[in-house]
Amino acid sequence: MSRRIRRVGRYVDALLRDRRPPRAAVDPDDLEALAAAIELSSARPQAGMPDPRFVERLEGRLREHTDGDFPVHRRVTRRGLLQAGGLAAAAAAAGVVVDRAAVDHGSNPAADELAVNGGEWHPVVAADALPVGRAMRFSTGKVEGVVVNRGGGRVPRAVGGVHPPGLHPAAQPAAGRLDCPCHSAAFGFTGEVLHHQQPQPLRPLPRIPIRVRDGHVEVHVV
Amino acid sequence: MAPPDWEALYRDNIVSIYKLMYSKVGNQPDAEDLTSQVFLGALPHLRPGSSTGEVHRYLLATARTVLADHWRRTLGLQVTTLDDEVAAAAEQPAEAGEEPASQRVRRVRRVLAALPANYRTILELRFLSGCSLRDAAARMGISVGNAKVLQYRALRRAAELGREAGT
Repeated sequence: MSRRIRRVGRYVDALLRDRRPPRAAVDPDDLEALAAAIELSSARPQAGMPDPRFVERLEGRLREHTDGDFPVHRRVTRRGLLQAGGLAAAAAAAGVVVDRAAVDHGSNPAADELAVNGGEWHPVVAADALPVGRAMRFSTGKVEGVVVNRGGGRVPRAVGGVHPPGLHPAAQPAAGRLDCPCHSAAFGFTGEVLHHQQPQPLRPLPRIPIRVRDGHVEVHVV
Repeated sequence: MAPPDWEALYRDNIVSIYKLMYSKVGNQPDAEDLTSQVFLGALPHLRPGSSTGEVHRYLLATARTVLADHWRRTLGLQVTTLDDEVAAAAEQPAEAGEEPASQRVRRVRRVLAALPANYRTILELRFLSGCSLRDAAARMGISVGNAKVLQYRALRRAAELGREAGT
Protein backbone atom coordinates (compact mmCIF):
# COMPACT_ATOMS: atom_id res chain seq x y z
CA MET A 1 0.00 0.00 0.00
CA SER A 2 2.76 2.47 0.93
CA ARG A 3 4.40 1.98 -2.46
CA ARG A 4 1.12 2.79 -4.18
CA ILE A 5 0.72 5.92 -2.05
CA ARG A 6 4.23 7.04 -2.96
CA ARG A 7 3.64 6.45 -6.67
CA VAL A 8 0.43 8.41 -6.69
CA GLY A 9 2.13 11.11 -4.61
CA ARG A 10 4.98 11.44 -7.11
CA TYR A 11 2.48 11.61 -9.94
CA VAL A 12 0.57 14.41 -8.18
CA ASP A 13 3.79 16.30 -7.41
CA ALA A 14 4.70 16.29 -11.10
CA LEU A 15 1.24 17.46 -12.16
CA LEU A 16 1.30 20.32 -9.69
CA ARG A 17 4.67 21.45 -11.05
CA ASP A 18 3.28 21.18 -14.59
CA ARG A 19 5.93 18.59 -15.34
CA ARG A 20 5.85 15.22 -17.03
CA PRO A 21 4.83 12.56 -14.47
CA PRO A 22 7.18 9.60 -13.94
CA ARG A 23 6.76 6.70 -16.34
CA ALA A 24 5.98 3.72 -14.16
CA ALA A 25 3.57 0.86 -14.04
CA VAL A 26 0.56 1.82 -11.95
CA ASP A 27 -1.68 -0.46 -9.98
CA PRO A 28 -4.93 -0.68 -11.97
CA ASP A 29 -6.84 0.10 -8.77
CA ASP A 30 -5.12 3.48 -8.63
CA LEU A 31 -5.92 4.45 -12.19
CA GLU A 32 -9.06 6.32 -11.25
CA ALA A 33 -7.18 8.19 -8.52
CA LEU A 34 -4.70 9.37 -11.15
CA ALA A 35 -7.60 10.37 -13.40
CA ALA A 36 -9.06 12.37 -10.50
CA ALA A 37 -5.68 14.05 -9.97
CA ILE A 38 -5.45 14.91 -13.65
CA GLU A 39 -8.94 16.37 -13.62
CA LEU A 40 -8.18 18.47 -10.55
CA SER A 41 -4.91 19.58 -12.08
CA SER A 42 -6.50 20.62 -15.35
CA ALA A 43 -9.21 22.55 -13.49
CA ARG A 44 -6.64 24.75 -11.77
CA PRO A 45 -6.70 28.47 -12.45
CA GLN A 46 -4.92 29.33 -15.70
CA ALA A 47 -4.26 25.69 -16.58
CA GLY A 48 -4.76 24.37 -20.05
CA MET A 49 -4.00 27.25 -22.39
CA PRO A 50 -1.19 26.61 -24.88
CA ASP A 51 2.01 28.61 -24.62
CA PRO A 52 2.15 30.94 -27.66
CA ARG A 53 5.77 29.91 -28.20
CA PHE A 54 4.70 26.28 -28.52
CA VAL A 55 1.96 27.27 -30.97
CA GLU A 56 4.54 29.05 -33.13
CA ARG A 57 7.02 26.16 -32.93
CA LEU A 58 4.44 23.61 -33.99
CA GLU A 59 3.27 25.90 -36.76
CA GLY A 60 6.85 25.94 -38.06
CA ARG A 61 7.07 22.16 -38.01
CA LEU A 62 3.78 21.86 -39.85
CA ARG A 63 5.00 24.29 -42.47
CA GLU A 64 7.94 21.98 -43.12
CA HIS A 65 5.58 19.02 -43.44
CA THR A 66 3.36 20.83 -45.93
CA ASP A 67 6.22 21.89 -48.22
CA GLY A 68 5.97 25.48 -47.13
CA ASP A 69 2.28 25.75 -47.91
CA PHE A 70 1.58 27.05 -44.45
CA PRO A 71 1.79 30.82 -44.43
CA VAL A 72 2.33 32.78 -41.25
CA HIS A 73 0.87 36.24 -41.28
CA ARG A 74 1.00 37.29 -37.70
CA ARG A 75 2.69 36.65 -34.43
CA VAL A 76 0.91 34.43 -31.94
CA THR A 77 -0.08 36.15 -28.72
CA ARG A 78 -1.89 34.99 -25.65
CA ARG A 79 -4.65 37.47 -26.39
CA GLY A 80 -4.94 36.05 -29.91
CA LEU A 81 -5.21 32.52 -28.59
CA LEU A 82 -7.88 33.54 -26.14
CA GLN A 83 -9.84 35.19 -28.90
CA ALA A 84 -9.32 32.15 -31.11
CA GLY A 85 -11.29 29.93 -28.82
CA GLY A 86 -9.78 29.70 -25.39
CA LEU A 87 -11.52 32.57 -23.67
CA ALA A 88 -14.52 30.84 -22.21
CA ALA A 89 -12.64 27.77 -21.11
CA ALA A 90 -9.81 29.75 -19.61
CA ALA A 91 -12.38 31.83 -17.80
CA ALA A 92 -14.19 28.81 -16.49
CA ALA A 93 -10.97 27.19 -15.36
CA ALA A 94 -9.78 30.32 -13.62
CA GLY A 95 -13.13 31.31 -12.26
CA VAL A 96 -12.59 34.64 -13.91
CA VAL A 97 -12.48 36.07 -17.39
CA VAL A 98 -8.92 36.68 -18.41
CA ASP A 99 -7.37 39.60 -20.21
CA ARG A 100 -10.53 41.35 -21.24
CA ALA A 101 -10.39 45.08 -21.87
CA ALA A 102 -12.17 47.17 -19.30
CA VAL A 103 -15.26 48.90 -20.60
CA ASP A 104 -17.63 51.45 -19.23
CA HIS A 105 -21.11 50.37 -20.16
CA GLY A 106 -22.69 53.28 -18.42
CA SER A 107 -22.74 55.39 -21.56
CA ASN A 108 -23.23 52.63 -24.10
CA PRO A 109 -24.72 49.46 -22.68
CA ALA A 110 -24.58 47.61 -25.99
CA ALA A 111 -20.88 48.13 -26.53
CA ASP A 112 -18.35 45.32 -26.29
CA GLU A 113 -20.40 42.60 -24.63
CA LEU A 114 -18.35 39.84 -23.05
CA ALA A 115 -17.86 36.88 -25.35
CA VAL A 116 -18.25 34.27 -22.65
CA ASN A 117 -20.97 31.90 -21.63
CA GLY A 118 -22.35 32.22 -18.14
CA GLY A 119 -20.91 34.24 -15.32
CA GLU A 120 -22.28 37.40 -13.82
CA TRP A 121 -21.33 40.91 -12.82
CA HIS A 122 -20.76 41.59 -9.14
CA PRO A 123 -20.76 45.13 -7.72
CA VAL A 124 -17.73 45.49 -5.48
CA VAL A 125 -17.54 49.17 -4.53
CA ALA A 126 -19.21 52.49 -5.24
CA ALA A 127 -17.21 54.25 -7.94
CA ASP A 128 -16.86 57.45 -5.92
CA ALA A 129 -15.71 55.53 -2.83
CA LEU A 130 -12.41 54.55 -4.42
CA PRO A 131 -10.01 57.51 -4.58
CA VAL A 132 -7.49 57.83 -7.38
CA GLY A 133 -4.42 55.71 -6.76
CA ARG A 134 -6.12 53.63 -4.09
CA ALA A 135 -6.85 49.91 -4.10
CA MET A 136 -9.53 47.92 -2.34
CA ARG A 137 -9.85 44.25 -1.70
CA PHE A 138 -12.99 42.43 -2.82
CA SER A 139 -14.41 38.93 -2.61
CA THR A 140 -17.25 37.52 -4.70
CA GLY A 141 -17.22 34.18 -2.91
CA LYS A 142 -15.51 32.58 -5.92
CA VAL A 143 -12.79 35.08 -6.61
CA GLU A 144 -10.55 37.12 -4.36
CA GLY A 145 -8.88 40.20 -5.73
CA VAL A 146 -8.25 43.89 -5.64
CA VAL A 147 -9.71 46.71 -7.65
CA VAL A 148 -7.46 49.69 -8.31
CA ASN A 149 -8.47 53.20 -9.31
CA ARG A 150 -5.82 54.17 -11.87
CA GLY A 151 -7.11 57.71 -12.28
CA GLY A 152 -6.76 59.76 -15.45
CA GLY A 153 -10.34 59.05 -16.46
CA ARG A 154 -9.53 55.38 -17.00
CA VAL A 155 -11.77 52.54 -15.89
CA PRO A 156 -10.42 50.84 -12.74
CA ARG A 157 -8.38 47.66 -13.04
CA ALA A 158 -9.06 44.43 -11.18
CA VAL A 159 -6.78 41.44 -10.66
CA GLY A 160 -7.33 38.34 -8.59
CA GLY A 161 -7.76 34.62 -8.55
CA VAL A 162 -9.46 31.64 -7.02
CA HIS A 163 -8.82 30.59 -3.46
CA PRO A 164 -10.66 28.06 -1.32
CA PRO A 165 -12.68 29.30 1.62
CA GLY A 166 -10.54 30.29 4.56
CA LEU A 167 -7.48 30.97 2.47
CA HIS A 168 -8.22 34.48 1.34
CA PRO A 169 -5.26 36.46 0.15
CA ALA A 170 -4.72 39.69 2.00
CA ALA A 171 -4.59 42.98 0.18
CA GLN A 172 -2.09 45.50 1.49
CA PRO A 173 -3.21 48.66 -0.32
CA ALA A 174 -0.71 50.88 1.41
CA ALA A 175 2.12 48.54 0.40
CA GLY A 176 0.77 48.22 -3.13
CA ARG A 177 0.53 44.47 -3.08
CA LEU A 178 -1.71 41.43 -2.65
CA ASP A 179 -0.26 38.84 -0.26
CA CYS A 180 -0.98 35.14 -0.60
CA PRO A 181 0.07 33.39 2.62
CA CYS A 182 -0.44 29.90 1.21
CA HIS A 183 2.01 30.53 -1.62
CA SER A 184 4.23 32.76 0.54
CA ALA A 185 3.89 35.13 -2.36
CA ALA A 186 2.98 38.72 -3.10
CA PHE A 187 1.48 40.16 -6.29
CA GLY A 188 1.42 43.73 -7.51
CA PHE A 189 -1.80 45.48 -8.37
CA THR A 190 -1.25 44.84 -12.07
CA GLY A 191 -1.05 41.12 -11.27
CA GLU A 192 2.74 40.78 -11.54
CA VAL A 193 4.59 38.47 -9.14
CA LEU A 194 6.58 40.57 -6.69
CA HIS A 195 8.14 37.73 -4.75
CA HIS A 196 7.42 34.15 -3.69
CA GLN A 197 9.02 31.15 -2.04
CA GLN A 198 7.71 28.46 -4.37
CA PRO A 199 10.09 26.02 -6.07
CA GLN A 200 8.45 26.65 -9.44
CA PRO A 201 7.74 30.02 -11.09
CA LEU A 202 4.36 31.54 -10.34
CA ARG A 203 2.22 33.02 -13.05
CA PRO A 204 0.92 36.56 -12.75
CA LEU A 205 -2.62 36.97 -11.49
CA PRO A 206 -5.12 37.29 -14.30
CA ARG A 207 -6.96 40.51 -14.87
CA ILE A 208 -10.66 40.43 -14.22
CA PRO A 209 -13.16 42.15 -16.51
CA ILE A 210 -14.45 45.27 -14.90
CA ARG A 211 -16.96 47.97 -15.70
CA VAL A 212 -18.63 50.93 -14.08
CA ARG A 213 -22.39 50.88 -14.12
CA ASP A 214 -24.89 52.96 -12.22
CA GLY A 215 -22.13 54.40 -10.09
CA HIS A 216 -20.75 51.04 -9.04
CA VAL A 217 -17.58 49.24 -10.03
CA GLU A 218 -18.50 45.70 -11.08
CA VAL A 219 -16.31 42.65 -11.79
CA HIS A 220 -17.28 39.70 -13.96
CA VAL A 221 -16.74 36.16 -12.68
CA VAL A 222 -17.86 32.80 -14.01
CA MET B 1 -9.20 21.67 -56.30
CA ALA B 2 -7.85 24.41 -54.06
CA PRO B 3 -5.15 23.37 -51.59
CA PRO B 4 -6.18 23.25 -47.96
CA ASP B 5 -5.87 26.46 -45.98
CA TRP B 6 -3.45 25.01 -43.44
CA GLU B 7 -3.17 28.17 -41.42
CA ALA B 8 -6.93 28.50 -40.95
CA LEU B 9 -7.18 24.82 -40.13
CA TYR B 10 -4.43 25.14 -37.57
CA ARG B 11 -5.77 28.31 -35.98
CA ASP B 12 -9.26 26.89 -35.76
CA ASN B 13 -8.17 23.76 -33.93
CA ILE B 14 -4.90 24.28 -32.05
CA VAL B 15 -6.49 25.68 -28.89
CA SER B 16 -9.25 23.11 -28.60
CA ILE B 17 -6.93 20.14 -29.32
CA TYR B 18 -4.32 21.41 -26.86
CA LYS B 19 -6.92 21.99 -24.15
CA LEU B 20 -8.36 18.56 -24.72
CA MET B 21 -4.93 16.98 -24.39
CA TYR B 22 -4.13 19.04 -21.31
CA SER B 23 -7.38 17.97 -19.72
CA LYS B 24 -6.41 14.31 -20.26
CA VAL B 25 -2.80 14.48 -19.06
CA GLY B 26 -2.82 17.50 -16.72
CA ASN B 27 0.66 18.79 -17.57
CA GLN B 28 2.21 21.02 -20.20
CA PRO B 29 5.09 18.88 -21.58
CA ASP B 30 2.86 15.90 -22.32
CA ALA B 31 0.06 18.11 -23.66
CA GLU B 32 2.48 19.78 -26.08
CA ASP B 33 3.95 16.45 -27.24
CA LEU B 34 0.54 14.90 -27.82
CA THR B 35 -0.86 17.97 -29.56
CA SER B 36 2.12 17.93 -31.90
CA GLN B 37 1.58 14.25 -32.63
CA VAL B 38 -2.08 14.89 -33.44
CA PHE B 39 -1.40 17.65 -35.97
CA LEU B 40 1.67 16.04 -37.51
CA GLY B 41 -0.18 12.75 -37.80
CA ALA B 42 -3.44 14.11 -39.11
CA LEU B 43 -2.49 16.86 -41.54
CA PRO B 44 -1.01 14.69 -44.31
CA HIS B 45 -4.29 12.77 -44.45
CA LEU B 46 -6.70 15.68 -44.60
CA ARG B 47 -8.34 16.08 -47.98
CA PRO B 48 -8.56 19.43 -49.75
CA GLY B 49 -12.04 20.86 -49.42
CA SER B 50 -12.82 19.05 -46.18
CA SER B 51 -15.42 20.82 -44.09
CA THR B 52 -14.56 22.35 -40.73
CA GLY B 53 -16.53 19.61 -38.98
CA GLU B 54 -14.78 16.84 -40.90
CA VAL B 55 -11.38 18.27 -40.05
CA HIS B 56 -12.28 18.57 -36.37
CA ARG B 57 -13.62 15.02 -36.23
CA TYR B 58 -10.51 13.66 -37.92
CA LEU B 59 -8.27 15.52 -35.50
CA LEU B 60 -10.25 14.12 -32.57
CA ALA B 61 -10.07 10.60 -33.97
CA THR B 62 -6.31 11.04 -34.25
CA ALA B 63 -6.23 12.44 -30.71
CA ARG B 64 -7.91 9.32 -29.41
CA THR B 65 -5.32 7.08 -31.04
CA VAL B 66 -2.46 9.27 -29.82
CA LEU B 67 -3.81 9.24 -26.26
CA ALA B 68 -4.29 5.48 -26.21
CA ASP B 69 -0.70 5.04 -27.33
CA HIS B 70 0.45 7.54 -24.70
CA TRP B 71 -1.20 5.63 -21.84
CA ARG B 72 0.13 2.35 -23.13
CA ARG B 73 3.68 3.74 -23.15
CA THR B 74 3.57 5.68 -19.89
CA LEU B 75 1.41 3.56 -17.61
CA GLY B 76 1.82 0.21 -19.30
CA LEU B 77 -1.93 -0.24 -19.45
CA GLN B 78 -4.73 -0.28 -21.92
CA VAL B 79 -6.55 2.74 -20.59
CA THR B 80 -10.07 3.46 -21.65
CA THR B 81 -11.33 5.37 -18.64
CA LEU B 82 -9.10 8.34 -19.39
CA ASP B 83 -10.18 9.05 -22.93
CA ASP B 84 -13.96 9.02 -22.77
CA GLU B 85 -14.05 12.78 -23.17
CA VAL B 86 -12.36 12.53 -26.54
CA ALA B 87 -15.26 10.54 -27.82
CA ALA B 88 -17.70 12.98 -26.24
CA ALA B 89 -15.91 15.92 -27.81
CA ALA B 90 -16.09 14.27 -31.22
CA GLU B 91 -19.85 14.45 -31.02
CA GLN B 92 -19.77 18.21 -30.60
CA PRO B 93 -19.16 20.90 -33.19
CA ALA B 94 -15.72 22.50 -33.23
CA GLU B 95 -16.99 25.82 -31.94
CA ALA B 96 -18.29 24.11 -28.80
CA GLY B 97 -14.77 23.08 -27.84
CA GLU B 98 -14.76 25.24 -24.72
CA GLU B 99 -17.77 23.52 -23.20
CA PRO B 100 -16.03 20.43 -21.73
CA ALA B 101 -13.68 22.67 -19.71
CA SER B 102 -16.50 24.53 -17.98
CA GLN B 103 -18.29 21.24 -17.39
CA ARG B 104 -15.12 19.87 -15.87
CA VAL B 105 -14.80 22.80 -13.47
CA ARG B 106 -18.39 22.36 -12.35
CA ARG B 107 -17.83 18.63 -11.91
CA VAL B 108 -14.70 19.25 -9.84
CA ARG B 109 -16.57 21.71 -7.64
CA ARG B 110 -19.39 19.20 -7.12
CA VAL B 111 -16.99 16.41 -6.22
CA LEU B 112 -15.02 18.62 -3.82
CA ALA B 113 -18.22 19.75 -2.13
CA ALA B 114 -19.29 16.13 -1.60
CA LEU B 115 -16.02 15.03 0.00
CA PRO B 116 -15.52 14.75 3.77
CA ALA B 117 -13.99 17.95 5.12
CA ASN B 118 -10.43 16.69 5.60
CA TYR B 119 -10.36 15.11 2.12
CA ARG B 120 -11.71 18.32 0.59
CA THR B 121 -9.18 20.47 2.44
CA ILE B 122 -6.13 18.47 1.38
CA LEU B 123 -7.20 18.52 -2.28
CA GLU B 124 -8.05 22.23 -2.21
CA LEU B 125 -4.73 23.06 -0.59
CA ARG B 126 -2.78 20.97 -3.06
CA PHE B 127 -4.63 21.56 -6.33
CA LEU B 128 -6.35 24.92 -5.96
CA SER B 129 -3.89 26.73 -3.72
CA GLY B 130 -0.76 25.04 -5.04
CA CYS B 131 0.58 24.24 -1.57
CA SER B 132 3.41 21.75 -1.25
CA LEU B 133 2.63 18.62 0.71
CA ARG B 134 4.69 20.03 3.56
CA ASP B 135 2.81 23.34 3.57
CA ALA B 136 -0.54 21.58 3.31
CA ALA B 137 0.39 19.30 6.22
CA ALA B 138 1.45 22.29 8.31
CA ARG B 139 -1.79 24.14 7.60
CA MET B 140 -3.81 21.07 8.55
CA GLY B 141 -1.74 20.35 11.64
CA ILE B 142 -0.78 16.84 10.52
CA SER B 143 2.48 15.14 9.58
CA VAL B 144 3.72 15.04 6.01
CA GLY B 145 3.28 11.28 6.01
CA ASN B 146 -0.33 11.60 7.09
CA ALA B 147 -0.92 14.30 4.48
CA LYS B 148 0.38 11.96 1.79
CA VAL B 149 -1.96 9.19 2.89
CA LEU B 150 -4.84 11.65 3.18
CA GLN B 151 -4.18 12.94 -0.34
CA TYR B 152 -4.16 9.39 -1.68
CA ARG B 153 -7.41 8.46 0.04
CA ALA B 154 -9.02 11.74 -0.97
CA LEU B 155 -8.18 11.14 -4.63
CA ARG B 156 -9.59 7.63 -4.49
CA ARG B 157 -12.76 8.91 -2.84
CA ALA B 158 -13.03 11.73 -5.39
CA ALA B 159 -12.74 9.15 -8.15
CA GLU B 160 -15.51 7.09 -6.56
CA LEU B 161 -17.76 10.14 -6.29
CA GLY B 162 -17.07 11.00 -9.90
CA ARG B 163 -17.98 7.49 -10.96
CA GLU B 164 -21.14 7.47 -8.84
CA ALA B 165 -22.17 10.75 -10.47
CA GLY B 166 -21.84 9.06 -13.84
CA THR B 167 -18.88 11.10 -15.01
